[in-house]
Amino acid sequence: MKNCHQFLTLKDICYSYTKNRQILSDINFSLSESELLGIIGPNGSGKTTLLNVISGILKPYKGEIFIQNHNLNHLSIESIAKFISVVPQNTWVTFNFKAKEVVFMGRMPYISRIKGESQEDYKISREAMIKTHSLSLSNQNIQKISGGERQRVFLAKALAQSPKLLLLDEFTSHLDLTYKYEMLNLLKNILKKENLTIISTFHDLNLASIASDRLLLLNDGKIEKIGKPKEVLNKENLYKVYKVKPILINHPQFNVPQVIM
Amino acid sequence: MNKSLVKNTGFINWKKKLILIVLFGSLIVLVIGIFCLNFGVVTITPRDIMHLLINGTQDKTTNLIIWQLRAPRIVLGALTGAALSTVGGAFQGILRNPLADPYILGVSAGAALGACIGIAFQYITGYAFASYLPLFAFLGAMLSLYLVYKSSKISYSANSTGLLLSGVAITFLFSALITVLLALSRRELHSMIFWLMGDLSAANWKKISIILLPVFIGNAMLFFSALDLNALSLGEEEALHLGINTGRLRIRIFLIGSVIIATVVSFTGLIGFVGLIIPHIARLLVGPDHRIMLPIAAFLGAVFLILCDILARILLAPTEIPIGAITAIVGVPLFIYLLRRKNQ
Amino acid sequence: MHFLKKFSVIIAISIFLLLDLPFLGGVSNAAEYPLTVIDETGTAVTLSKEPQRFISTAPSNTEILFALGLGEKVVGVTNYCNYPEAAKHVEKIGEISPLNYEKIISLKPDLVLAYGGFQLKDIPRLRELGIIAIVLEPLNLKDTFKSIKMIATACDISDKGSILVDNLTKRVDYIKSKVSNIPISSQPKVFVGGTSETIFTPGAGTLFNELITMAGGQNIAASLSFWKKISPEFVAEAEPDIIIIPIGVMNQEESSKIKEIVSERNGWSNIPAIKNKKIYIVNEDLFYRAVPRMVDGLELLYKIFHE
Repeated sequence: MKNCHQFLTLKDICYSYTKNRQILSDINFSLSESELLGIIGPNGSGKTTLLNVISGILKPYKGEIFIQNHNLNHLSIESIAKFISVVPQNTWVTFNFKAKEVVFMGRMPYISRIKGESQEDYKISREAMIKTHSLSLSNQNIQKISGGERQRVFLAKALAQSPKLLLLDEFTSHLDLTYKYEMLNLLKNILKKENLTIISTFHDLNLASIASDRLLLLNDGKIEKIGKPKEVLNKENLYKVYKVKPILINHPQFNVPQVIM
Repeated sequence: MNKSLVKNTGFINWKKKLILIVLFGSLIVLVIGIFCLNFGVVTITPRDIMHLLINGTQDKTTNLIIWQLRAPRIVLGALTGAALSTVGGAFQGILRNPLADPYILGVSAGAALGACIGIAFQYITGYAFASYLPLFAFLGAMLSLYLVYKSSKISYSANSTGLLLSGVAITFLFSALITVLLALSRRELHSMIFWLMGDLSAANWKKISIILLPVFIGNAMLFFSALDLNALSLGEEEALHLGINTGRLRIRIFLIGSVIIATVVSFTGLIGFVGLIIPHIARLLVGPDHRIMLPIAAFLGAVFLILCDILARILLAPTEIPIGAITAIVGVPLFIYLLRRKNQ
Repeated sequence: MHFLKKFSVIIAISIFLLLDLPFLGGVSNAAEYPLTVIDETGTAVTLSKEPQRFISTAPSNTEILFALGLGEKVVGVTNYCNYPEAAKHVEKIGEISPLNYEKIISLKPDLVLAYGGFQLKDIPRLRELGIIAIVLEPLNLKDTFKSIKMIATACDISDKGSILVDNLTKRVDYIKSKVSNIPISSQPKVFVGGTSETIFTPGAGTLFNELITMAGGQNIAASLSFWKKISPEFVAEAEPDIIIIPIGVMNQEESSKIKEIVSERNGWSNIPAIKNKKIYIVNEDLFYRAVPRMVDGLELLYKIFHE
């Protein structure tokens, strides 16, 4: 059952990098707490930009974002960081930090520069690594581990940040089959246990369909459709956006549409 | 259950670590500094030195050599090495570029131009202004700092590339002006080139008293930004997501670092390579966590430069080899050796 | 009686004057320390006693010290002090700039003869360390003689200085008088160049230029000031009659090779000096240093130009 007060609301959001290139137009939607929203759409439709607008680092030239009734514009980036954390698509690190040091950086919004960190900060970091099955990578060089391993470490970092809203950008794209579903399960567990709300962009429509409570289909910067997977993944929408006519079947276990080419 | 977690996280308070490093590091620098008093063109026995340090005057000449020539030179070397290394490490952090050095953001080119103008000026006005040369250099440095700051705001203020490009551009501009100045001067050419090569031999206590405070305070301020520098290594957006105002951080580090460098370089000329290589050596030894790496780099840099200065003084005595050459000749093999050991 | 008194007074005065005569030559025999001289930088330098230990921080100063007979008292010279031969065996203090203060102090000099130019900036520090330094930087013959006399005075041997300078002046005047009889048209056009690709030549205000002019030559670079880099075209256009190449120490073989290289330089085949094979290699020290040997250089130039 949905909550009456909305957790996250976007109103009339418009964003462009330059005068000519409009990236996002008229974005309107709301999220409830503990919901997993999957953002799908072709390359260039504005998925990552939307994520960055929600996280506050890109400022839309029109529209407003409300998080638990706070206007995002009025919050400092320090306070936003205690609320929202992000797992990026690109996880390059300039220096050879150990994985556990990277995870520990997730605690930065809470660490006073003068007092330094506490026992608690280390505990939270460690727990985050355990949850994401990355504890074995603790002392490894972050530059030397594989892309998939790095993403788990970065997920741990994002969890160590104790967020209420977790944003993921194409999170599963580098993951092995071994970890794809495991991580998604993890996310759904955390969602429930820790009252976390999650927005994730997906490249893979089928994964998005299984993982998400609702899907948001972006087409050229505009919302084509938002709703349950069954409502969004149908022949008309897919043709409109992707210009293809795939076969859709129902997943026997999860009861959601799956796209077969 | 709780106990095992504590043990496994390997928790040592960062502050305790820092205090240990500072104490230990200072002690090492002090010991090495005193050890280095032994070296110079003139032979003075260690016994005489200890006697001098403990009891006071031996003969006037020895006193003069130890206290007025060698000691200030060692102290200046330590301060310079520490300053260059810390700022080099900090700049590598904010620019996310392992090839950055303290001179890359333009301040040194400004100081060099100021100094060369000061030297040319000297010849026109007579050498009464000789002692004001550091002031010329410092003003030149402030000019280039201002230009880099202004032009980086015009370009991409949102990321490190803008700052880097501005720094490089201004450096090229000022270097060109210096080249013109060099081409026009015949008599002053020698002095200008020597200034550019860097030199600790003109050290005296008055100069040290001027740079002591800026170096200490500036370094301390950089140490405090260490945590933010860590986050910046993850990327511009990542740092923002961690609540760090990257624009402000960048400008802060740039300004503090530039003032430290301008102060030091105005007195020592451009001693190269130290600021580039010592942070890397520090990272090889203690890892990239800036909270540990920067203080370690400071002490490493101090010791390194003091030792290089000895070589500069005694290898071809009484001729002195430019110290910038020694730092590279010694530093490169050292670095390669450490790199290979790490990879094994 | 009256006459005897007058006579004895006259005798007494005469004897007194006779005895005084040596004293009239200068302030030398009376020990007049502390003594103050004004050096080239306009600084008043005070010597508290007669200097016994000298350090020279420039080859020109070394030559002057030895020329004044103070060679035995010189305890430190630079790496470049190669004349006279005895100077080569004096302890070395290193480079001309930056000065090695430690070495200088350790030799405990009473007086350091320093140089202006690019050494100027090292002097304040030297003085801070308690060293008495006199800075010399004569830019012409006259000033060189003045400097020699000044040093002689400071060292309580001003008569030696006067004698030295008088002899040199005589030789210079001799050349001058001979040259005054040579019409301008017979004064050869002279180019001074080195062996390197980039040509640096001395113009007005340099010692070299003064010597050339005094020796009755016309320096093609006389319109430029100090040492200047010039292009090969400039030289080709000026068509010098004589080319002078100042070099450090070298042997026969090398000098003929150098003459060859210069003769075959691109675009210079029409220059009179090259066509007539009037290329002369000279010891650069005679022309770069403000020292008594400059007069040797002057005489050498006269010979080259007019004989």
